[in-house]
Amino acid sequence: MITSHPLMLLALLTLIAPFWGALLSGIDRKLTARAQGRIGPPVIQPLYDTLKLLRKTPIVLNRIQVVYAYLHLAFMVLAFLLLVLGQDGLMFLFVFAFSTLSLVLGGMCVRSPYSRIGSQREILLMVAYEPILILLMIGIYKANGSFLLGSPFVAAKPLLMALPLLFLAFLVVMAIKLQKSPFDIATSHHAHQELVKGLTLEYAGPYLALIEIAHFYEIAILFYFVMLFWASNLAIGFVLACASFFLMVLIDNAFARLTTMWVFRFMWTGALLLALTNILWLYFR
Amino acid sequence: MTQEWLIGALVLGPLALALLILVGPRGWWRDGLVVVAALATMAAGVELALKGSATLTLPPLVTEIATGIEPVVIITVLFLGFRVRSWLVMGMAVIQLALAAAGYLLERGHETVATVIRIDPLSTILVLIVSVIGSLIALYAIGYMRQHEHHAPTTAASTNRFFFFIIAFLGLMNGLVLVDHLKWLGIFWEGTTLCSFFLIGHDGTDEARTSARRALLINVFGGLMMGLGGYLALRLTGSESLSAAMASPAALIPLALLAVATMTKSAQMPFQSWLLGAMVAPTPVSALLHSSTMVKAGSYLILRIAPHLGQLAPVVAVAGAFTFAVTCALAIGQSNGKKVLAYSTIANLGLIASCAALNTPLAYAAALMLLIFHAVSKALLFLCVGTIEQTIGSRHIEDMGGILFKMPLTTSVAIVGMVSMMVPPFGMLIGKWMAIEAATQSPAVLILFIIGSALTVFFWAKWIGRITTASYHETYTIEKVSGWQIGVLLTMVVAVILGSLAAMPLYHYIAKPVSLQMVGQVGDATMRTLLESVDGLVTWPIFVVLGVVLLAIVISSLFFRCSQLRLPFLCGENVEGGAQSYEFRGIADGTETAMLNSYYLSPVFGEGKITAWSNPVAVMIIITLFGVIVP
Repeated sequence: MITSHPLMLLALLTLIAPFWGALLSGIDRKLTARAQGRIGPPVIQPLYDTLKLLRKTPIVLNRIQVVYAYLHLAFMVLAFLLLVLGQDGLMFLFVFAFSTLSLVLGGMCVRSPYSRIGSQREILLMVAYEPILILLMIGIYKANGSFLLGSPFVAAKPLLMALPLLFLAFLVVMAIKLQKSPFDIATSHHAHQELVKGLTLEYAGPYLALIEIAHFYEIAILFYFVMLFWASNLAIGFVLACASFFLMVLIDNAFARLTTMWVFRFMWTGALLLALTNILWLYFR
Repeated sequence: MTQEWLIGALVLGPLALALLILVGPRGWWRDGLVVVAALATMAAGVELALKGSATLTLPPLVTEIATGIEPVVIITVLFLGFRVRSWLVMGMAVIQLALAAAGYLLERGHETVATVIRIDPLSTILVLIVSVIGSLIALYAIGYMRQHEHHAPTTAASTNRFFFFIIAFLGLMNGLVLVDHLKWLGIFWEGTTLCSFFLIGHDGTDEARTSARRALLINVFGGLMMGLGGYLALRLTGSESLSAAMASPAALIPLALLAVATMTKSAQMPFQSWLLGAMVAPTPVSALLHSSTMVKAGSYLILRIAPHLGQLAPVVAVAGAFTFAVTCALAIGQSNGKKVLAYSTIANLGLIASCAALNTPLAYAAALMLLIFHAVSKALLFLCVGTIEQTIGSRHIEDMGGILFKMPLTTSVAIVGMVSMMVPPFGMLIGKWMAIEAATQSPAVLILFIIGSALTVFFWAKWIGRITTASYHETYTIEKVSGWQIGVLLTMVVAVILGSLAAMPLYHYIAKPVSLQMVGQVGDATMRTLLESVDGLVTWPIFVVLGVVLLAIVISSLFFRCSQLRLPFLCGENVEGGAQSYEFRGIADGTETAMLNSYYLSPVFGEGKITAWSNPVAVMIIITLFGVIVP
């Protein structure tokens, strides 16, 4: 069996992950289209798009831009590996954050106002959700006695039982990471009037494809992370993750965009309070 | 050489050479002596570290000398207080004199206590930081001051005095971290205050004078706390040895006073203003104060006394964590590069103090790691900003767009420096990671750590984004900066990278054993598991990924063609060859310029907004520090 060898399994997962991310993204587009009364593109349209981008002539504004695109993808893949290998949660988080940061810097290093606005907003979003992700890791530590991301698999009780409020807060973070309304203020799947394409505006061709692939990995990471909340039975975890993704699509279609400072305030009050309450009761237990 | 001679070379050597610089002529004599002093101090520091731990008892005469020097130092402070017309400084100096006299009367009947030099891992780490990084900064200053004399000719006459204080600073710091005698500690402590006063005031401008005066005032207050603590320690425990007095259970009040003294030296809230003012001085001074000397004296002392803090420890930990979170927020609102660096220094010192006071081996090890890596990275960053400032004539972040083309070497070094402050797997991030894991035992500290680290990303990202902004250029030419400056910058950048590669071995072989030795107990079972699990982290895959990225960049640049270049989208037709490609055609073919500065969010993160509530809170925390020891 090919899956019996851990390294082979890891390689297989790393190869499959972007396709899984692309598929989820395609389903998202299909569902959204149906919700709006359109037929929508085929489910594997994101894959077609990315392959087409890869074949195009590269177009850049300067050479540094390219560096950041590579860093973004490389650290996203590394974050995925750390997650699948069940490594230290906080270190995973820092690697994950640096991947996003590379994208932000890639948007900032060009003399394009739209892309710079997108970058500035994305940093604010990072500052907004980062505390919640760190608290989530603290929650895992408090629940399982270990910072290792492999620990939910061996824990007696599913993580969701210990961290229900943190799970809710995490769903909000997930909506931000997936660029869903009302949080799609830095960039989005659709071009917005005041921002054009924001963060990724000045990327094109194969370098934009790198960013797309990194985003597929990001989707896979988020999917896997939701599954961690019910890791003792991965079938339930899978259903939970699918339900969360469906919820994301629902939210996306039900809300309009809001301003950056609104998101910042919302995250540092509402979502942070949810997370803190959950952490506090774990401390008092 | 025996260790006694090495101690002499580390403490008296720089002082003697500094005197020679002061009385000597300018030019090659001065530069040569600075090089000799720097290299000799560096060599002696490394040699001392290789010799290992020891405790040396010096003859009683040395203690007698301290009794003689103490009033001289205090009277110097009194005189300076008179010169800057500060009644507060003079008043505090008079109290200090009275305390010294009272201490003298108290110990007159007893036989003289021998001065003990304690070379243990903690003091060795500090000696290495001071003598290696401090000396490198002195070497950098040779090149920098030549330029500086050119920019500000009126200060040229006092450049020898400038180097006198820089070199003497190294000797005093070495003395401060090695000596285990409260009186000598107080003398070295005041000595560094005096050095920093003269260095900050070097340029003689109004701003420099005001800043120097403020630094003097705040640090003399710290010195007074120290003197009071020393006197009370002698009174309550009957000992003048730092280690013996602090280990005594009767020493809680002196400990609280010393903790306040460390806060003034490390510029913790509410004492942060002097370090922010200190940036008016020539850049080597800022680099020295922020990385290897002065502020690290505070970190050293808190690390030294932390295991004895007892019921004070939680308050000190919260005070440090509070400073960390608040100054990270303050850094976001600043567009002045040096100020951002200053707030980041204060934040990291708060983190170090907080970790030290958490009093578990993991937290203590995190504090040591942060202490070491911060010293290297921050020295590097200040020296870069100094070089950039001399070239572009501004220290404002928004003016730094395009410097990647103007000065590619310095800018690349600066990028590595900034990246090393916040990106895995560099040393500072490893330290911060350990700090957060260690703080899980103390929820209040933990939340402040989390807030602070989330905010950290913001101000570094804005800065890196600004300095890497550039239009396309076919070729880059290395800028012309003096060899001293470039040499030191390159040495430090190599140190940052090698140090980060060695971060986990450093934890395993140095930080962990040292903290186990200092803190003494492993704590409960969960802390033990954490201590070991941290040891299991492997960072090499991250370096491998960085290597792969490097390779990908090289390969893709081989396939790069100029025909692939485009101008940014500006909502209109680009003006070909327009200034910095910001210009586009607007209505009726007029030329419009699109510009965008970074977010500073001053309504939220402005200095006035935040300090208005945070300084009072910091004062309340200090009052609490004394509140908890009221019986």
